[in-house]
Amino acid sequence: MVKQIKKVLVNRDLCIGAASCIAVMPEVFELDGENKAVLIQKGGVKNSGPATIDAFDVSSVNQETLRMAAESCPTKAIFLYDEDGGQIYPD
Amino acid sequence: MAENIKIKYLIIGGGVAGTTAAETLRQNDPDGSIAIVSDEPYPFYSRIMLSKPNFFLGKLPFENIFLKKENWYQEHNINFIGGISANNLDPQKKTVSLSDGQNIEYEKLLLAIGGCARRWQIKGSDKKGICYLRTLDEAKEIIDAIKTAQKAVCIGGGFVSFETCELLRMKNIDTTLLVMEPYFWANLLDEESGLMIEDAIQKGGVKIFKNETTEEVLGDKKVKGLKTKTGKEFDADMVVVGIGIMCPVNTFQKNELAVGRGILANEYLETNLPDVWTAGDSAEFKDIILNEQVMLGNWVNAQMQGRVAALNMLGKKQPFRMVSFYTTTAFGLNIAFVGNVRIEEGVTIIKRGSRESGSFGRILIKDGEIIGATLMNRTNEMAPISKLIENNFKITGHEKELADADFDLKKLV
Repeated sequence: MVKQIKKVLVNRDLCIGAASCIAVMPEVFELDGENKAVLIQKGGVKNSGPATIDAFDVSSVNQETLRMAAESCPTKAIFLYDEDGGQIYPD
Repeated sequence: MAENIKIKYLIIGGGVAGTTAAETLRQNDPDGSIAIVSDEPYPFYSRIMLSKPNFFLGKLPFENIFLKKENWYQEHNINFIGGISANNLDPQKKTVSLSDGQNIEYEKLLLAIGGCARRWQIKGSDKKGICYLRTLDEAKEIIDAIKTAQKAVCIGGGFVSFETCELLRMKNIDTTLLVMEPYFWANLLDEESGLMIEDAIQKGGVKIFKNETTEEVLGDKKVKGLKTKTGKEFDADMVVVGIGIMCPVNTFQKNELAVGRGILANEYLETNLPDVWTAGDSAEFKDIILNEQVMLGNWVNAQMQGRVAALNMLGKKQPFRMVSFYTTTAFGLNIAFVGNVRIEEGVTIIKRGSRESGSFGRILIKDGEIIGATLMNRTNEMAPISKLIENNFKITGHEKELADADFDLKKLV
């Protein structure tokens, strides 16, 4: 069974601002003033996480697209976790 | 005669453009056959990571370089033909012949052939220890060389030298940089920006020599040093040559494919041949924001073009529209390029900040609109400048604000 993504974290030390994630999922990712990816969350909160996907400022999160966004990162800076905190990606 | 293999979507090139295209095609067409032909034997990997310290200095496991595992291709029913190059294209028969003798008949073809590191054409440049940095195999050679090297020379005033010099210094290797031009990155930057980069590189312990062209590589089978046209000699166990990227268009051009520096394409990334598209570093395409033919070499551009080309191969008529940008960091200096940064006729510059103040930007203006920017330690201005380019912002009346280094450009968006 495919594990459901519950939590997302951008490792700011690894992120180089290539913006691949933004190209895939602009409704969830954007670059901040330091050219690092942040997660767009409800209430105007923007940080690199960890953040649960329920906190994202979108009505629904497509699991496959989110995984693609993480997989597209050329420095593997986006970490995906399941409900139990287990790391789904990078695997 | 062997029968042709028939493939609905044939992709030449297994980099980010080709792989993203395959992924997009599979999402939209669950059953159509897809094949990727790559002259590299590896599954899709991160070319960006090749010059990043984490990978290079072995801080991360080597496998981290791979963004798709081998089983990804099987799981998505994509035929990955690795270690094989495409030799010829017959647009009438709609076939591509491969280096292993196979012929593939395509319905739709994507040429995402990327670029390769420009080779050094001087006496002795075939000696061991002369390195390039474009492919995984080339990176492996450098990783191997830095294990024992004591003295290294980097050639070229661009991003390969900028990032490689830092890696070499992290390994405490005595590093010298030779630049042919009067200052660093002279083809894209002004002298003030170039000198700012040199400040950072020199502070990092690299010796820089400018206006130096190498005449000969010294040594027996292995490099021992270099001799320049001005008569200077430099000792070296290894040399990293970063003198640009070229697109191997010759492979296909004999068959009516229109090429310039790259493969020519319209805003839909269609080439002049029916059912043939191009994407990524090899595409010299019509940029509808800048309204000119441009060629870009960066990751997210290639990724987006792979997606758009795939959508067009699926029959959707979608133009490629993006303000491109490129960033690099080394020696504590962030460099960013946004949009078109080439100085052409009619382009004027508005400067923000200065070399002395530690952050310096140049905004390029043409016909009253912003077309690009170069930013030293001002990467936070990338986003607003991209927006201003995309929105065709008219600068009239805002010249003072644009020239004020402390003015928040977001206010103009």
